[in-house]
Amino acid sequence: MATEKTYYTIDPEGKLTCMKCKVPLRKGNAKFMYLDNGFPVELPVCPKCGFVYVPEELALGKVLSVEKALEDK
Amino acid sequence: MIIKERQSTHVYRQKQLFSKEELEARESLCVHEQPAYCNAACPLKLDTKAMVAAIASGDFSKALQLYEKITPFPYILSALCEAPCEGKCKLCTLGEGVSVRELEAAALCYGERAKKKGLLRKKAKKAAIFGADLFSVFLAGELAKKMYPVTVYCSQSDAADLVAECIPELPAAAKEATVADLKKADIKFEFSTDPASAYAETVEKYDLIGASYSVAQQLYPGLTVDETVMVYREQKLLTGKTEGVLDAAFAAKKAALSADRLAQNLDPSNTRGEEGSVETRLYTNTGGVEASNRIRITDRESAVAEASRCIQCHCDECIKGCVYLQHYKKFPRILTREIYNNVSIIMGDHMMNRPINACSLCGQCSILCPNGYDMAEICKLARENMVYTDKMSLAVHEFALMDMVFSNEEAFLCRKQPGFDTCKYVFFPGCQATAIAPATVRAAYLDLCNRLEGGVALMLGCCGAICDWAGRYEMQEDTVKFLDEKLAQLGSPVIIAGCPTCKKELSRHETIGIWDVLETVGLPEKAKRMDRPIAIHDACGARGDSQTQDAIRRIAEQMGCTVEATEYDRDKSPCCGYGGLTQYTNKEVAKKMTDKCLERSDLPYLSYCMACRDRFAREGRESMHLLELVYGTSADHCPDISEKRYNRLSLKNQLLGEVWNEDVEEVDLGFTIDYTTEAIEMMDDRMILKTDVIRVLQNLKETGEAILDGETGLCVTRARLGNVTFWVKYTETETGYLVHRAYSHRMTIQTR
Repeated sequence: MATEKTYYTIDPEGKLTCMKCKVPLRKGNAKFMYLDNGFPVELPVCPKCGFVYVPEELALGKVLSVEKALEDK
Repeated sequence: MIIKERQSTHVYRQKQLFSKEELEARESLCVHEQPAYCNAACPLKLDTKAMVAAIASGDFSKALQLYEKITPFPYILSALCEAPCEGKCKLCTLGEGVSVRELEAAALCYGERAKKKGLLRKKAKKAAIFGADLFSVFLAGELAKKMYPVTVYCSQSDAADLVAECIPELPAAAKEATVADLKKADIKFEFSTDPASAYAETVEKYDLIGASYSVAQQLYPGLTVDETVMVYREQKLLTGKTEGVLDAAFAAKKAALSADRLAQNLDPSNTRGEEGSVETRLYTNTGGVEASNRIRITDRESAVAEASRCIQCHCDECIKGCVYLQHYKKFPRILTREIYNNVSIIMGDHMMNRPINACSLCGQCSILCPNGYDMAEICKLARENMVYTDKMSLAVHEFALMDMVFSNEEAFLCRKQPGFDTCKYVFFPGCQATAIAPATVRAAYLDLCNRLEGGVALMLGCCGAICDWAGRYEMQEDTVKFLDEKLAQLGSPVIIAGCPTCKKELSRHETIGIWDVLETVGLPEKAKRMDRPIAIHDACGARGDSQTQDAIRRIAEQMGCTVEATEYDRDKSPCCGYGGLTQYTNKEVAKKMTDKCLERSDLPYLSYCMACRDRFAREGRESMHLLELVYGTSADHCPDISEKRYNRLSLKNQLLGEVWNEDVEEVDLGFTIDYTTEAIEMMDDRMILKTDVIRVLQNLKETGEAILDGETGLCVTRARLGNVTFWVKYTETETGYLVHRAYSHRMTIQTR
């Protein structure tokens, strides 16, 4: 159900480091999935291991509101 | 165990909540929209209640506008109407009813009459009325109001003569005003004419014909009038015999409606709707209303005072007691219809999901409603329906359901009393008592073992109420099966429930309350005396169980308490906010429910459901559970969500060691976890358990996956546990971790 629209863009600006790979996170392409609905996003991603970081503000903000909206579908 | 999340928002399964007939039958129980007694009694359909309310607020003009709607000649009606509304006034059951007719006169006296708008066009069909009597005068007025050009042929010499002859009993002032009304009305009068001759000469010129009853008899001797429509059908003549002013006014209304039908070449009986007075099914509670006598109306002030006696009859018995209905500002009939429609939506937003899941399912409404309207049953059926059609989000109930799984798996305990092959009894304290007051449960079990003969087994677990409330009927069936098997293994003992909801849920077996046992064997020696007045909060699980309600009161009195009755006690008791899982689905409504419970009394609250005790204590109210009083255990601690789980597990382990000599080894994590105060509060609010954090940090140990936020200096790691991704922000300590923050989301995330 993914569309081409990108919903969120978060640039790590070099302040986040992957502790496993010892490299800075970069802006990367990711996708949120919930109840068979997909949302392409740009989030901080480790270029080596692919760890995607979901910041607290995003999880409790937009992500939560989209979850709630989908739960009532 | 993981509970399966719904697959997709694109599952288009549907099941009707109930048949249309059942929906209507349920809706009809709600009398909120039934007309007030006075309104129902008026054949002219005056909105008496609204008119009286307008006067009570001092708005005589608004009252007059309402009154003028029902009659073209308000002075005649207000002077001579038989006023059946007054006899039906609810205040008559206490003292004297409201003097509606005098208030109508006051509206005419002090109100400003509405100006005719004059925008409506005259109708093409012309009407003539032959002969004047009370009926035909009203008919002329009604037809003029409907914009028919009306001509009246009568023998009287002028309007004053006509009023004097047709309504001789009309007081002088009303007579004068009515003459003025007649002159102002858009009616053409042919005075000093013989109606019968005029009929012969002119009838062909008109489309609609009416006549006074005497002229009609003269024209058509022996005529029979269909009084349901006021038409002599053979000649399509609007006429009829009437008695009294109200009868004449009502007959004229019926005849005017017949004129509309005849003008359209329809049968006069065609689609007339409901006419005349009706029976109302309204219920109005007059509790707290004092008997009063009529106030003589002499001026504006006395009219306002008389109108203010009106209690504006309505039924809101359920809403008065129920915070949930107050919160959504809907009475049950509307709520039921909206829930029914919500369930029928195949695609799109289900706006009523939140209200469906916010009801505490306590059943108070079914007691407060004079017709037993059961909103709880409807909400529960809707939840089951949503689960069946895969429309129920797991998110709303998952925490509670997982809590139940924890109770019936990890923290479950089922043991016979040592030394007994079969036990006569099994103590089932319930999941909330073990979570909130483990020391009380321990004391109660040891006491029962000591003082009851025949052996007392112990079963620590959940009765199934959680999945029942969540509408998870399959889980409920599994729970019933699981518990029944365990009970069978114990030799099907009598269940001693520590919680009224458990007692109800387990009623398929022989079940008694621990309060029943305490009444039989007497109170233990260390029972706390509490020589002071208290208020009892009855548990919703004990609604309809007067035996339990009485037993609790007797035990409280034995311990020296003076039980003060409150407005909503016993069967009328509201929910504390835990029932129906409201605590998890809608914190705002749950909080209001707790506040509503606590506003009934300033005294300490004694409850017999541990969830009620916990919610009251959290609000800072002195509150205790009956068993805490009986066993002298502390009632001042409110554990957080993690502690509630820990309490259950540690009680199980403690009793296993103490009673059954089974030592449970503690698991060593290999690292320590500390929490900041902020983290503890945050986790309780966000429903994140310490065990969730432990699993996330164990995952960190295994994978090493974490990131360092250079800005805050905090490390962040995460793990997907079941249907939720948990994130933990931490710093490393010498021996392990210090947790600063935690959050979660249900969406999964992947790179693309």
